[in-house]
Amino acid sequence: MGMSDWKRPVRVLVLSLLPILAPGHLGADGDRQTPPAEPAASPNGSAGSDRLVARNGLWGFRLVPSRVRLLGEGAFQSFLVVATDSRGLEIDLTPEARFSLSDDRLAQVEPEGLLTARRDGEVTLRAEVAGQRLEATVRIEGTGRARPFGFARDVVGVFTRNGCNGSECHGGVKGRGGFKLSLHGINPREDYRWTVKGGVYQVLSPKAAEPFDPRVSLEEPRQSRLLLKPALELPHGGGQRFERGSADYRRLLEWIRQGAPYGAGPSESRIQRLEVFPREAIMEPGAGRRLLVTAVFEDGRAEDLSPEVLYESSDPAVIDVTPSGVVRALKPGQARVTIRAAGKLVQVRCGVIRQPLDNYPEVAGRNFIDDLVFDRLRELHIVPAGLSSDSAFLRRVCLDLTGTLPPPERVREFLADRDSLKREHLIERLLNSPEFVDYWTFRFADFFRVVYRNAYVYKSWIRESLARNKPYDQMARERVAGQGNGGPTRHFIKSISGEVMRPHEKMGEDVRVFLGIRLDCAQCHDHPYETWTQDQFWGITAFYGQLTRIRDLSVFMDDVSGNEEQPEGPKVIHPRRRREVAPSFLDGSLPPSTGINPRAELADWMTSPANPYFSQAIVNRVWANFFGKGLVEPVDDFRPGNPASHPELLQALARDFRRSGYDLRHLMRAIARSGTYQLSGDLNSTNREDEVNHSRALPRRLEAEILLDAISSVTGIEEAFAVHEYVGGGTEPKGTRAIELVPEVTPSQFLEVYGRPVSRDSMPWRDYRSTLRQALHLLVGSTYTTKIAAKEGRVSRLLSAGASDREIVRELYLAALSRFPTADEETRLQDLIEMAPSRRKGVENLAWGLLASRQFTYNH
Amino acid sequence: MDLPIDQLGCCRPRREFLRVGALSLLGLNLRQYLALEAATPAAARSKQKAQACILLWLEGGPSQIDTWDPKPHSQFNAIPTRADGIRISEIFPRIAGHMDKLAIVRSMHTEENNHPQGTHYALTGHRPNPALKFPSLGSIISRELGPRNNLPPYIMVPEHQETDFFSYMDAYTSAFLGSEYDPIILPDPNHESFQIPDLSLPDTLTAADIADRRSFLQAVDRGFRQKEKHAEFGRMDRFTNQALTMLLSPKVKQAFDLSQESDRTKDAYGRTRVGQSVLLARRLVEAGCRFVTTSGYAHGAWDTHKDNDQRLRDKLAPTLDQTLSVLLEDLQQRGLLDSTVVLAMGEFGRTPHLNANNGRDHYPDCWSLILGGGGIQGGRVVGASDEQGAQVAERRVTMGDLFATIYKAMGIDWTKEYVNPGGRPLYIANSIDDVMGQPLHELV
Repeated sequence: MGMSDWKRPVRVLVLSLLPILAPGHLGADGDRQTPPAEPAASPNGSAGSDRLVARNGLWGFRLVPSRVRLLGEGAFQSFLVVATDSRGLEIDLTPEARFSLSDDRLAQVEPEGLLTARRDGEVTLRAEVAGQRLEATVRIEGTGRARPFGFARDVVGVFTRNGCNGSECHGGVKGRGGFKLSLHGINPREDYRWTVKGGVYQVLSPKAAEPFDPRVSLEEPRQSRLLLKPALELPHGGGQRFERGSADYRRLLEWIRQGAPYGAGPSESRIQRLEVFPREAIMEPGAGRRLLVTAVFEDGRAEDLSPEVLYESSDPAVIDVTPSGVVRALKPGQARVTIRAAGKLVQVRCGVIRQPLDNYPEVAGRNFIDDLVFDRLRELHIVPAGLSSDSAFLRRVCLDLTGTLPPPERVREFLADRDSLKREHLIERLLNSPEFVDYWTFRFADFFRVVYRNAYVYKSWIRESLARNKPYDQMARERVAGQGNGGPTRHFIKSISGEVMRPHEKMGEDVRVFLGIRLDCAQCHDHPYETWTQDQFWGITAFYGQLTRIRDLSVFMDDVSGNEEQPEGPKVIHPRRRREVAPSFLDGSLPPSTGINPRAELADWMTSPANPYFSQAIVNRVWANFFGKGLVEPVDDFRPGNPASHPELLQALARDFRRSGYDLRHLMRAIARSGTYQLSGDLNSTNREDEVNHSRALPRRLEAEILLDAISSVTGIEEAFAVHEYVGGGTEPKGTRAIELVPEVTPSQFLEVYGRPVSRDSMPWRDYRSTLRQALHLLVGSTYTTKIAAKEGRVSRLLSAGASDREIVRELYLAALSRFPTADEETRLQDLIEMAPSRRKGVENLAWGLLASRQFTYNH
Repeated sequence: MDLPIDQLGCCRPRREFLRVGALSLLGLNLRQYLALEAATPAAARSKQKAQACILLWLEGGPSQIDTWDPKPHSQFNAIPTRADGIRISEIFPRIAGHMDKLAIVRSMHTEENNHPQGTHYALTGHRPNPALKFPSLGSIISRELGPRNNLPPYIMVPEHQETDFFSYMDAYTSAFLGSEYDPIILPDPNHESFQIPDLSLPDTLTAADIADRRSFLQAVDRGFRQKEKHAEFGRMDRFTNQALTMLLSPKVKQAFDLSQESDRTKDAYGRTRVGQSVLLARRLVEAGCRFVTTSGYAHGAWDTHKDNDQRLRDKLAPTLDQTLSVLLEDLQQRGLLDSTVVLAMGEFGRTPHLNANNGRDHYPDCWSLILGGGGIQGGRVVGASDEQGAQVAERRVTMGDLFATIYKAMGIDWTKEYVNPGGRPLYIANSIDDVMGQPLHELV
């Protein structure tokens, strides 16, 4: 998703490369919908291929691409032959295919399917495999003239393919060894300058620093450092990238011999987009597939770029990829192959299945979420777990919608209810409960950054917005564009000092909160991994440039006229270019007017339905609440290199959310009602290793606050929270829950130990890791000892009410785990109580065992 | 590592427990237990190298010209020291007697001049960044050397009193290295009710009770444990074992128990938050901790925007003079000086000129610190400031250089890079402009 995609819907199918996906373009066996009743047979097919067909019931043969236009002298195109086997897996048959041409004078084809143009005209390529005859049409033009040379395509292509401009090498912020290149070749003009003219990149100045020694030598081309270093004829920190005399070496040498020109203009040499076939590969361990990469240039020309790009596997233990683009499945799991060419990238999703299933069961979905999740599972031959039990669902949905455990009587009620729609009714009840508002205020306080200095007004604005179910886009506009001294303006205040955030800090936070993008790195330099530039960073920061606080009044407003602090009016100065920056959106477009309230214009742009990030960022955050991690993870790190696990689902959720009028409850209802959310955690032979495809419910640790509140509710002892002396000391009113606290002024050993975020000058980060201090606290800490033993607590109440051991075991199970104990558990635990030194000790120990259990500490 | 249920030793009934003793709590037999006690990464390391580091954190930032880099325009005289030719401010008469053990760096140059940012910079080597977290020096050393004798490797004493400590917390933590390298933060050891939370069994709970409790836990969690293999579960099992060892091991308890020190020793360190914290640091290092950050000065004590001279003379210098001197003597007597790096610094220096309030303001351009022990050459001065003490005149030293020096003294590969979860490489000795720091060859 480059910037150019912002105003256009992203095309999911790569139509220009893959006309084959449309019926009618296919070869003899064009219909991929239904497998043939019996394997096709042909007298021409080789015996080996026949066996292949018979064994695997192959169908849906395709020759890819089926239609192509080759332009220029020496133009070439690789072709692939694929078919689908009886289990629905697409396999690569190219090595077994026999290729021939209708006219050998126009082109030549090699056995592995590489076709090279010779003369203008139209020629038919035939591929025969397994008795199938497939055809593709090749139009050849312009063989009389060579393709124009372009630095951006040809030289930057060599840099990219060899990893020279990766973020850890010369593409790093400051380059390496005094030689700087733009990251993955996004800026060929600058690369040209650094290569041909030399100079050292400076972070704080647009000027290059001394020394200016060119990387090329026009007098002695072979002595150019651009060749000596990567060929390791001079010491090179990056090691040998290519050999002397290799194709890349020769290409660079030839370029230098020609006088190192910049060459063709942008439209001919700049790649507009990369396309790849297949976009997705599902394979068995051991299987391999060749990737076909096509570059579409800005002048519309398409070219086979497969041999000239950089292939990287996100998980080389699962998927291995060769420098020429052959992927091999190693072990079950999932990985992406990232393909980079000068300035652009495209990715292939790869799934390696454990074992293909011949009889994949029917899995019924409940709504659009399930359609997308279950379809994906079917493709991966993973069978999801069954539906969760009523008690598992009850505990999970109460925690996820309200952060609160259901009391034992509610559990009994729900389990006894015979209504077939009881889950839907429960969801509605929870969505409309006061606890829902409490819990989501807590959730929003985290990512909207409620801090001590702004807590009261700001938090009540959040609470009020949630209680009224205010459309989320409206909340966003109120926050981004807030003027005056109302709730939404309060987030401009820093945590403890009470200072006003600086424009770039405000911008960074708003972009992270509402668009899920981390621009912060681009503050000091172009973003190291992505295409965000420093200019974009400061352009969007400039929207906040006029925001000032009127002293002593705590009123925030845009002020163009200046004030005592900034007599000339506030400005945003670009730190590298040292000049004032005018507001511009991330896609480079300018606001409609040089307006009175630039932040209102920014808010409109951010929340516009045409901005794909806005709704995707929030549905992803909400999704993470229900599943422990986002479809994009981390939830605020949307970027091309970090794609969603389920891109179609993310888009569908965002679309549904927009259509609902940005209704948060509507979104949560859809998620909570889905079969995906309601799956059990049960394992089967296919979903055992899966942690990303939602084939079962995975355990998620309760947040510190939720955990403490849950312990208080099970033990029946409310926590008395101290208030920091800094704000007057004392304690919070009785009955205050941990989720209602303002962290900085309510110290709590338990909450700190369990990872409540306290540093709130930037976006809070929750720590879910286990620690030694947790282990210590669990064993001997007061939360787990005094609360259990307290005289007014649940244990004491049960004992003094004369409950039997069995009743006590059941009651504590209902309170802590929202379920009855199994028969085994019941017997075993009653025995243990009996063996204890005293009955009271026994019951206390049981309560501890429940609170310390993973079942309690995790939502599952 | 997710321990199988039967190795957790939590399922034995009480009577059996009494027979096999407390070790079964840990799911270990005696041989394994002894092996655990003995097997620490330290065993494999050279005896010559420093094993631990104590940081005397002078938060607020001391004035260089009034301490280790005396200038004529300071109100204090320069006095000769035990090291030939090295003079320091007269307000440290006892430290002057230990200058043979200490080196002074007079040309520190850093880049942040506000407290939270400066602290972050001094303790991580990086400027704070909302998008990135950086591990602190203590976390890095803990991770590189690993724990010793079942003690937590990184401790901070005492905890800060002020609420805005949260603005500083990122400077002390492990970032992405893992929670086992976060500091364990202890309360004020000079307080009469000094007690370390969760480090000993409460009166109401015996070791046998814990064994019983774990039997219940096991009965509740058996099925779930078998089914779910969450990455954190194995870690929690390991921490639980470590926690049990700590709770039941007399050695660990003793390390934290200041009452084992004589009144004479306590008096010698000074009955102050600073003095008792430094004493506890010595106990902890002796017992096996890798890095102890001690402070104990009132918040912003060294932040002498007002009445610089008077505060230094009356309050700050006497405390530091006493505790640092006693610490050096004590470490030497116990044979620990060669294996313990001692570093005293703040987050920056102070302006060489006085302001209108007779104070000095924040100043990162050129400042001083002292370090010694752990094989670091004492009686040396590295770098020099100009006449005013305002700019580096000779040999600019960065945080990365200082970190590299300490790593080298401790046998840690100072050229190492970590890669953060986002793929950004970070030098563990990070110097200005993200270049690698270099050890001060004069010292190590």
